[in-house]
Amino acid sequence: MSVSNLLAQFGDKYLLALLTTWKLTALAFVLAFAIGIVITIMRVCPIKPLRLAGDFYVQVFRNIPGAALLIILVYALPYLNLVWSYYICVLIATSLLPAAFCSEYLMAGMNTIDVGQIEAARSLGMTFFQTILNVVLPQALRSTVLQMTNLLVATMLTTALASQVPLKPTDLTGIVSYINTHAVGGVTAFLISALLYCGTAVVIGQLGNLIDRKVRILR
Amino acid sequence: MSTVNTSIRDALYEAPGPKARKRIAIATAVSLAVLAVLICLIVRQFYITGQLNAKYWSLFTKFSTWKFLGHGLAGTLEVALAAGVVAFVAGLLLMLGRISNSKILRGISMALIEFSRGVPTLLFIYFFFLIAPQFGLKLPAFWKISTPVALSAAGVVAEVFRSGVNAVPKGQTEAALSLGMRGCSVFFKIVFPQAFRYVIPSLISELVIVLKDTTFAYVVNYADLMQNAKVLISNYDALLSVYLVAAVIYILINYLLNKVSVAIARRMHVSSTMIMQ
Repeated sequence: MSVSNLLAQFGDKYLLALLTTWKLTALAFVLAFAIGIVITIMRVCPIKPLRLAGDFYVQVFRNIPGAALLIILVYALPYLNLVWSYYICVLIATSLLPAAFCSEYLMAGMNTIDVGQIEAARSLGMTFFQTILNVVLPQALRSTVLQMTNLLVATMLTTALASQVPLKPTDLTGIVSYINTHAVGGVTAFLISALLYCGTAVVIGQLGNLIDRKVRILR
Repeated sequence: MSTVNTSIRDALYEAPGPKARKRIAIATAVSLAVLAVLICLIVRQFYITGQLNAKYWSLFTKFSTWKFLGHGLAGTLEVALAAGVVAFVAGLLLMLGRISNSKILRGISMALIEFSRGVPTLLFIYFFFLIAPQFGLKLPAFWKISTPVALSAAGVVAEVFRSGVNAVPKGQTEAALSLGMRGCSVFFKIVFPQAFRYVIPSLISELVIVLKDTTFAYVVNYADLMQNAKVLISNYDALLSVYLVAAVIYILINYLLNKVSVAIARRMHVSSTMIMQ
């Protein structure tokens, strides 16, 4: 099927699919970032149980396959009377996974900060939270822009999980399987989705480079 | 305080005084209580929905259950290994193209790397599952899952290799060239062996991603750990417990792989990058 035929027949569906993928990616990334920061603060705080809980979270969600997590959320948790809509399940899965990596990147970013800075903050009488929020996190964020950009792309790729549940409107991966079961979309349907993913990834990458150059701390 | 090995995690607070110790003790107790309540709530939820019932868990005392899960795990590992090898070779070729002197080859490799890194594994899987058969390309289930997983890892592998090559000091190439070695043998005898050493930990981390991606094997009906878990579920009518156990197996294997990666990185004094996709 030619590109023009395909777009005439499924063009509006493609647009919806692209918007679904973008929206899921943005929502999941914001949630992942928030969870990631909370987990990171837990992992460096002086309270041992919280540290361990934070480490445990990261190990679990770094290592569980996305498909396994989504299957558990969608099919297993209803047995515990925890029933969520497909959309919520996808959103939970696609934000819990990147959150673990977000925390790992922030921890690595923190280690680039000179210990002297923390000692200076402490001797100024700053509390743990003041040090974390005013000295450590801002610098950790500024030195992890590139990792976070990669994380945003990875989050977008993870949202392809949405194609595994019946979602309306479907996402960019789901639409390829939709078209191929309703018509013979062939390789064109695949290429359009793939190029939309890639295009988004390239734009995100360029923006990340731009931001990185602006905020990176030269040491 | 500022010893060489002080990480930020230790530097954020010094040895606490009596007041701070008291506060930390209270906070520790409170957080323990909160965590305990959380765990109790989860166990309670299992209990009131009847999921703690022995009939859902007794299957794990049988040898046949573990044998069957073991078969599935073997299937998972086979696919992951095959995909890993293909990704390794494809990534190596892409990297060679990416750093070659030919402008056209560089451009093509760069585009392929971007494509591999920017497209979700599932889309590659759908390509081999739904679209390739329309062109008469009918692969066995094993390759229907391992090829797409490999293709989506190849781009990252290529970039990992390239970072390794870039980490080898330029002076070594110059020295080898001035000794009269040809460009090709400089690369394969001097640069690449060292670059490879640098990237072993990152390659192992990438294997974790490959292993995770093989979970999609159910799309193409290949008998991996997840698929065998599904069969167990229909045999014993125990969904939650079986999926939880399968997830724990995945987590443990990937956890071990990550540990190996970090241990090797520490021994060889190189960094192990964390990659998500």
